[in-house]
Amino acid sequence: MFALLKRDLYLALFSSSSFFYTSSFFVLVLIILPFLFGTNDVQLQVLFKGIIWIGLSLSILLTMDRIFNADYEDGNLDIIFQQNPSLETIIISKYITHWIVYCLPLFIVLPILSFLFYVSLDNFFLIFLNLFFGSLGMVFIVTFVSALTLGAKRTIFLKAIIVIPLFVPFLIFGTNLESWPILLALSMMSFVLSMYVSAYGLRLYVE
Amino acid sequence: MNELKIEDLTCYRGENLVLKDLNTKLKSGETLVIRGSNGSGKTTFLRVLSNFIKSYKGKILFNDQNVLEDSYYRYSFNFIGQKNSLKDNLSVKNNLRLWEIIYQKKISYSKILEEFNITHLIERDVTSLSDGQKKCISLLRLNFTESKIWYLDEPFVYLDEENSQKLIQKIKNFNNNNGIVIITSNINLQNTFTNEIKI
Amino acid sequence: MNLRLTNKQINIIEKANPFLIVSTVVAFTLGLYFSLLQSPPDYIQGDSMRIMYIHVPSAWFALMAYTILAGSSVLWFITRNPIFSIIARSIAQIGMIFTLISLVTGSIWGKPTWGVWWVWDARLTSMLLLFFLYLAYIFLWQSIINKDLASKISAALAIVGFVNIPIIKFSVDWWNTLHQPATISKLSSPSIDISMMVPLFIMTLATFLFLITVFFIRLRIEILDNKILRIREVK
Repeated sequence: MFALLKRDLYLALFSSSSFFYTSSFFVLVLIILPFLFGTNDVQLQVLFKGIIWIGLSLSILLTMDRIFNADYEDGNLDIIFQQNPSLETIIISKYITHWIVYCLPLFIVLPILSFLFYVSLDNFFLIFLNLFFGSLGMVFIVTFVSALTLGAKRTIFLKAIIVIPLFVPFLIFGTNLESWPILLALSMMSFVLSMYVSAYGLRLYVE
Repeated sequence: MNELKIEDLTCYRGENLVLKDLNTKLKSGETLVIRGSNGSGKTTFLRVLSNFIKSYKGKILFNDQNVLEDSYYRYSFNFIGQKNSLKDNLSVKNNLRLWEIIYQKKISYSKILEEFNITHLIERDVTSLSDGQKKCISLLRLNFTESKIWYLDEPFVYLDEENSQKLIQKIKNFNNNNGIVIITSNINLQNTFTNEIKI
Repeated sequence: MNLRLTNKQINIIEKANPFLIVSTVVAFTLGLYFSLLQSPPDYIQGDSMRIMYIHVPSAWFALMAYTILAGSSVLWFITRNPIFSIIARSIAQIGMIFTLISLVTGSIWGKPTWGVWWVWDARLTSMLLLFFLYLAYIFLWQSIINKDLASKISAALAIVGFVNIPIIKFSVDWWNTLHQPATISKLSSPSIDISMMVPLFIMTLATFLFLITVFFIRLRIEILDNKILRIREVK
């Protein structure tokens, strides 16, 4: 499992999806806010809570082809299957990589962003918790959708149509500051669902 | 001595019968060439042998043990499919490094690249290589495992005369070291490898 | 797939068809007569509430269709009988259309009631998301070329969607109480007068007959499609 994890992280590093790029993406998505809505600080605080979830969703969603599709199309998935005895370790390793590469950078820039958007310290911690538990669940969801749609024509829009309705509960509770326990519960449910469905999807495609 | 035995192998893909009642036996040092027209099930056969496809009738035995139940079987073969398993946007060196991690084996890049005389390609991006060069690099994966069996799916496609000879030499060396090889091919290899079945 | 079995199924469907079409027309005529002429207008909303007789049944059947979709997907997993995959596919398109009808009629109903075409009401929003769940199912099915694989994959998606419906419903309801003044969602009156119950009942029956008719036609098309596919594959 650690070999696969290490390999995926190196792959991300080599293909220049490094922290720097993803962090810049998050910062840029958010700094367009004042340009769009003006510099009223109360309004910005409200918008910040919402747009940061759009940034997170986009970052997870737009890169979902890298979870299984890329490896499936160039044949690396065969090697991964041969070298890893259980599907579960493959899936868990993919969760971790996707989270580290496409979600973790957000948490690194989050303090700076909160500072730019006048978020108080208490709210910062709540937003942080929400994003943390929410991002876990969202990664679980894209992973199983990615496993299921391995054989579908490669269109990110089809996948977005499947994924976004599943994201809705996360987004609804995510923008409310005190609902991190609900997000944790949602993430745990999606973990169970995701393990089953991803394993099912992968098993279909190795054949 | 290793022995690979295939007994009454029958395999359906969906509703279609792809493989029917295949029987064959291979011992250490032997090479089998599978011939057949396009879409005749050569790739399916190799994928069945590599345990990717698990729903079939009949038995595949490696050293008298059913490969479906043998959890070490996966370490005893190497499968090189038609997809070249290369990341297009990375350099050859980085691709080799990724394989090194996933196969958990350290390797000297220059030494294996020398096999096909492609040492000069090491810093090049895979996108800029020709199909033949990609195929050569893809075949280098054979050096990453200590396997007893090689399954090679159309290994000679895209290879020029010189590299084909090198590959044949490599297969023969492997045979001499008690390796079993199964090759699928569109072209006639009767002069090189006598053991051949048609499907 | 067993071709003889499908021939028998097609025969049953073909025999039932004229009967179904006639009874749908009769039921709709009756239903429209009662709902448009025989029943009194609502004392607050006037005549505009008569659209309820279309809106409410189609919303019910939109939800029921997803239940059938998920149910037949589960049955497909258990039995691996292709007929369940065909049923799922046929009902999905119908369910999507019913969702669309309920959204459009809801919006038309909303104009005189709320003064706007669309309100972010919990039910309407949930229906909108249901529409996209149907859409995802249908698109996924179409985008996979290998149809054996497609039925395996889309069956899994149908079940995932079904598991998610209560979660989506719960979160949308919660969101609605947070952002919406409570008065609007109460407009859909909790108690219905008996004079409205009769036309609603007949219209529900008519809509159900319509659903069954269209479902049988779709089923027949899908079975024939499947047959053509098989014959092509064998050749």
